[in-house]
Amino acid sequence: MDVQPLPHAFPFRFADGVVERTGPAQGRVRATVTADAAAVRATGFPAAALAELVAQSALLLAGGDAALSRKGFLAGLSDFSVERLPEPGDVLLVDVTLAGRLGDAVKFEGVVTDGDGGAVARGAVTVKQGT
Amino acid sequence: MPDDLKKRVKELIVRQLKLEMDPAAIADEAPLFGEGDGGLGLDSIDALELVLGVEKEFGIKVQDEEVGVKAFASVNALCDFVRAKAA
Repeated sequence: MDVQPLPHAFPFRFADGVVERTGPAQGRVRATVTADAAAVRATGFPAAALAELVAQSALLLAGGDAALSRKGFLAGLSDFSVERLPEPGDVLLVDVTLAGRLGDAVKFEGVVTDGDGGAVARGAVTVKQGT
Repeated sequence: MPDDLKKRVKELIVRQLKLEMDPAAIADEAPLFGEGDGGLGLDSIDALELVLGVEKEFGIKVQDEEVGVKAFASVNALCDFVRAKAA
């Protein structure tokens, strides 16, 4: 398994590493939900963090490199829905496909599932690549 | 059929960008990007959404360099671009 760190520090780094690459800027990323991550908000893992997780996963698949500092940021959401909020101990899988690119703006479709294949979240994120 | 194309393009802009406005209210020559006279003030994220919408709606491929020059400058320009690509 290719585990690459992201240039996001605690508590905002959610994606652990690439499980599988299925093409340029697409594949599957793993994310383990820790109690510390859940403590980002007193109410538990925030729904918005799932969108950030998809964006981090997309950027990781698109070549994010910890040594090169930040490689992009979440810039937009569309049709993003959350089925359930993750809990500490969940191991999530994020399947990302490339929807389109224009200059430094890149749109990805993401599907987040748990270890049992249950739906957690899905939707599109647009990221702006660069520092 | 040119008016049909303009109507289709305006409806596509409103639908794809989830704008809360009447498609007919978009002026044919108004700039789509920036805050020019009567412009829609779209940004680079909107541009990507619009490109994806145009590609899907008209079955054409838009290259990076074609956007932001003149192809997407206005509804009229976009109609000209679609006609040329479809020809």
